[in-house]
Amino acid sequence: MAEKEYRRLTRTRQRTAFGIVATGRCSLWLGMDHILSIETTGYTESYKRFYFRDIQAITLRQTDRWKYWNLVLGAITGLFGLIAVGWGRSEVVAAWVFGILTALIGLWLAINAALGPTCVTHLQTAVQTEPLPSLSRLRKGRKVLARLRPLLTEAQGPLAPEEIPARVQELIGVAPSANPAPAASPPFAAEDPNAPPRSAA
Amino acid sequence: MFNRRELVPCPMCAAPLQIEIFPALFRHIGPGRDGEALVIEGESSCFYHPQKKAVLPCEGCGRFLCALCDCELHGQHFCPACLEVGRKKGKIRRLENQRMLYDDIAMSLAVLPLVIFYLTLITAPVALFMSIRYWNAPRSIVHRTRWRFIVAILFATAEIAGWGIGIFLLTTRFHRHG
Repeated sequence: MAEKEYRRLTRTRQRTAFGIVATGRCSLWLGMDHILSIETTGYTESYKRFYFRDIQAITLRQTDRWKYWNLVLGAITGLFGLIAVGWGRSEVVAAWVFGILTALIGLWLAINAALGPTCVTHLQTAVQTEPLPSLSRLRKGRKVLARLRPLLTEAQGPLAPEEIPARVQELIGVAPSANPAPAASPPFAAEDPNAPPRSAA
Repeated sequence: MFNRRELVPCPMCAAPLQIEIFPALFRHIGPGRDGEALVIEGESSCFYHPQKKAVLPCEGCGRFLCALCDCELHGQHFCPACLEVGRKKGKIRRLENQRMLYDDIAMSLAVLPLVIFYLTLITAPVALFMSIRYWNAPRSIVHRTRWRFIVAILFATAEIAGWGIGIFLLTTRFHRHG
């Protein structure tokens, strides 16, 4: 059997704007010498390739989205549960409707809680810092990072932990400014020997 | 705070972070190569810059290229024109950055209009045409089977057959009742 060119790193996840509106789906795949990020808009797929030798850093930042969702879903589940119990004797149909809603939202809450804390992941190369929306859970992010670490080390060579602080300091100190300040212009025309002659009036 | 296996608070905003850095971060990126000017009469020159010295031929079209026009892609050397053509036509797979998912379109055209059945009169033939026309077209870059095309063909055929039977029954009944 022919070897698969890409292996799945993450499942397809909704890319969302403002946390609610879905704007596309993203997934991450592992190639022979690169990571492939696929963004699907429904009928087209866009690809971004990040070659192992070019990846400078991967950052996971924990967010509070997990906690807020748990709080909101927990409140709704509790409220609907209370309504279902309260109407249990008088309004049987309404009690059933709210009971089913409670179960469904409770299931959503359980899944969200089980998936663990959320995070925002960024991948940095020399020319871009790209968000990876499909890596939105800390646990999954760490798992993927653990899978990528040996591949990136193989492609770029090892980086000893003790040499990191010195090299980071060196990088900060040596790196030229992205927007170099313009050459200071003389405040008065008289101080500039190359300025064209002007009339005093 | 780098390459630690746990979350560390950011020194600026205190957000919990895990940052993994790699040697590429410290790699010095040198300036781009400039083409060398021709100094000897009759020396091979670049196809695009006749005043610059050719350093190698394009592996796509064979034109001589200077260091400025040489685009290296995984050990292969192309001129900018070949690179652009290769990207547009999908000949250089590593440059391909978008694909149309015809199988998804065909399946959607066959299945979704079932909600408003009358639409299938138009969408079913279109779905069937797309499934046949793009059967061999490249699908997703990651392994994907043709099951969406098969579903589209089955649904579209059933819808067309349904319309055919319905129209046949209507016309025969119309003729019978005179």
